[in-house]
Amino acid sequence: MALTGRAGLLAALGIVVVALAPRPGAALAGVCLLLAAAVVVDLLFAGAVRPLRFHRSGDRLVRLGRPVTVELVVENPGSRRVRGVLRDAWPPSAGVTPRTIELDVPAGERRRLTLTLAPTRRGDRESVAVTVRSLGPLGLAARQGTHRSPWSVRVLPPFLSRKHLPSRLARLRELDGRHPALVRGQGTEFDSLREYVVGDDVRSIDWRATARRHDVVVRTWRPERDRRVLIVLDTGRTSAGRVGEAPIPLAGAAAGGGGLLAAPDTRPVPGWPRLDWSMDAALLLAALAGRAGDRVDFLAYDRAVRAWVAGASRTELLTSLVNVMAPIEAELVEADAQGMVAAILSRAKRRCLVVLLTDLNPAAMDEGLMPVLPQLSSRHLVLVAAVSDPLVAAMAAGRDTAEEVYDAAAAEQARLARRRMTARLRRHGVEVVDAPPDDIAPALADAYLALKAAGRL
Amino acid sequence: MSVDMRPADNRESVSASPTVRSTWRSIRVAVLLGVLIVATAVAGVLLSSGDRASRPLDPDDTSLAGAKALAQLLRARGVTVERVDSVEAARARSAQGGRLLLITDVTAFDEGRLAAIPGDRLVVGDLYGLDDLAPGVRSLTGSPRERSREPACPLPAATAAGSAYLGAAAFSAPAGATGCYPAGEGWTLVSFPNAGGTTTVVGSGSFLTNQRLAEDGNAALALNLVGANRAVTWLVEPETPPVGEPAGPEGVSVYDLMPESVTWAVGMASIAVFVVALWRGRRLGPVVTERLPVVVRAAETVEGRGRLYRARRARARAADALRAGAVDRLTPRLGLGSSAARHEVVGALAVRTGLDARQVDAALYGPAPADDAGLVALARYLDSVERTIGEL
Repeated sequence: MALTGRAGLLAALGIVVVALAPRPGAALAGVCLLLAAAVVVDLLFAGAVRPLRFHRSGDRLVRLGRPVTVELVVENPGSRRVRGVLRDAWPPSAGVTPRTIELDVPAGERRRLTLTLAPTRRGDRESVAVTVRSLGPLGLAARQGTHRSPWSVRVLPPFLSRKHLPSRLARLRELDGRHPALVRGQGTEFDSLREYVVGDDVRSIDWRATARRHDVVVRTWRPERDRRVLIVLDTGRTSAGRVGEAPIPLAGAAAGGGGLLAAPDTRPVPGWPRLDWSMDAALLLAALAGRAGDRVDFLAYDRAVRAWVAGASRTELLTSLVNVMAPIEAELVEADAQGMVAAILSRAKRRCLVVLLTDLNPAAMDEGLMPVLPQLSSRHLVLVAAVSDPLVAAMAAGRDTAEEVYDAAAAEQARLARRRMTARLRRHGVEVVDAPPDDIAPALADAYLALKAAGRL
Repeated sequence: MSVDMRPADNRESVSASPTVRSTWRSIRVAVLLGVLIVATAVAGVLLSSGDRASRPLDPDDTSLAGAKALAQLLRARGVTVERVDSVEAARARSAQGGRLLLITDVTAFDEGRLAAIPGDRLVVGDLYGLDDLAPGVRSLTGSPRERSREPACPLPAATAAGSAYLGAAAFSAPAGATGCYPAGEGWTLVSFPNAGGTTTVVGSGSFLTNQRLAEDGNAALALNLVGANRAVTWLVEPETPPVGEPAGPEGVSVYDLMPESVTWAVGMASIAVFVVALWRGRRLGPVVTERLPVVVRAAETVEGRGRLYRARRARARAADALRAGAVDRLTPRLGLGSSAARHEVVGALAVRTGLDARQVDAALYGPAPADDAGLVALARYLDSVERTIGEL
């Protein structure tokens, strides 16, 4: 049960009545009894909440940054009209509007309510409860009850880098030989035989076939296909650090200002975690590699396998990838590089391109990946992609005051360590892509295209 | 995107509100415990009814600190014992004359009005208004131990009783007074004529209590002192001390002037506040919690290192970092390997840019700047060198 403001108002009016009445004691008793009686009557005649039934329909999947509507049908099988307010309780980051809805369902009828969700975070959002407050005819008191009406919405990564896909696909088609570049070279494999026409490279004449056919026959080549790409996402502590500016404001980003030191914080609002930028880059790479005819597998790992997608068909690849990526959050533990390499080796039997999305943090790399990297790079082609921090670059450029120069020195030190780590990785034969958050996805796609053009897959 | 990866949820809604039965089931243990506690308390109060808190030296108190035994002895000897708890009552009794006023505590009384009551008087203990009640008797500093003492005086009441349990306070005797039971410089019993009778002051009332009455000559002393008169007015602390209510000049308090309805209106107002609290306090549905991701800027470690440099004014380290960064960027542009020696880098830079070789050497490999201005100047010089190389 619940009381309303009207009951409070009535009780407040009772003060005046009691103060002016000739027999205040009796007046007080009378007012209280009257109020109690009115509340009891209201509760008796309010529509029952318990027998209400709820049905839901609507979207279950949404990309982060897009609104989604969920419909809630309230069915009133009782004998009295249910009039009052309804609240559909979702977690705060589901961004449900409106918070409460006016409800008026006559007996035996049903009403359709529409809720709009504007999620501010990736992952699964589940409705917790539906609460109905059913007012009585006098509007003094209400019956209140809560129902569970499960519904969940999976908020997918936004895949913002898909705007880069058309230009990269155009470059892929250039490689693919739709343009007249049928030159034998590295990065190509035998496609078919055809008759020689003037202008073909004489080196591509297949003499054996020519002898058989009594005609000059040349071999044609095309870029290699059906190579394997394994995208490995490091979900350890280094991927939790926030970089760049969030293209879509994330829940909790604004709350990060305080921290332990409650000094006035004029620094920029933290952006997206490295993990989200890495996912964006991974999605662009997967889309591109899928179109290029390569097989893409996906592994997310910190101290255990968080997600594993293998052998998805080309049409379903992106769908299954965003689905497994949606609930992944960075774990605040040091990633187990040894376990990660073991997981990769056990899953990738044949040689493939291993794209490792992690951070080039020298301390973490020295402890973790560097000792076990040779095991990986001896069997596979390894590409390490890392999101660099534009804030560090901005700090390194500070020259105005001595304080800024001290900060610049610290930033320079960090960048130098990163460059040295990159150089060490390259000496191991590992490709490295180190780019700021806005560029990491196209940079990774370009690196992939360059490897493909060079036939190193 | 239409592929639903998870099993379909159960679309039927279920009521999650507690029913009367489930509410009872969840709170019944607490309710039973509460009932048990209340029942125990009520039973305890009922069983111990009448057993009030110990009231020292009260003629109706049967506890160890009470004095009912003495009152009974006095009554057996035909002495009237009247227990009063106000000065007015004591004054009314004194009009008959031949009475002893027994004073054990003055906290609730006005000692001036008490001292105005004529007749015999027995003051027990070093009371607050001793100067009024027994003029001339002063309490000496230091409190002698309570123990059995010899009378050592000519007072018949004391000599007849012999040794008694006295102490706690010693008094000086005014001129014409008899001091008994000496303790140090003074006496623990002083008797002298005053206010139309005899005033006796004793250091403590222990010898009057139920606990000590049977010991020593305590009972004899008590009966000699108290039972010498026909009647005793035994002044005790009132059960409920008068409330200190600010009274007007005619004894009318503010509350008497207020109309009766104000009190009731205040009662109604508190009920209204309660109703409003119920209205505002009822939440529409549960509080929903969720696990939020950690918010840490990746640049925090770098910022922390910068602050450390600042705090320690670590110019040498800061300059080293800036120089190492500049050299690392310059060497590939100069066509040198990353392991190029100092003179190679400086020579190549001087040749390419036309800068003074010694100046370049001092900037890239020289000593650490002496002050912050020097550090800023160094950083800007390194920038200008890099810019010059970049423009070539």
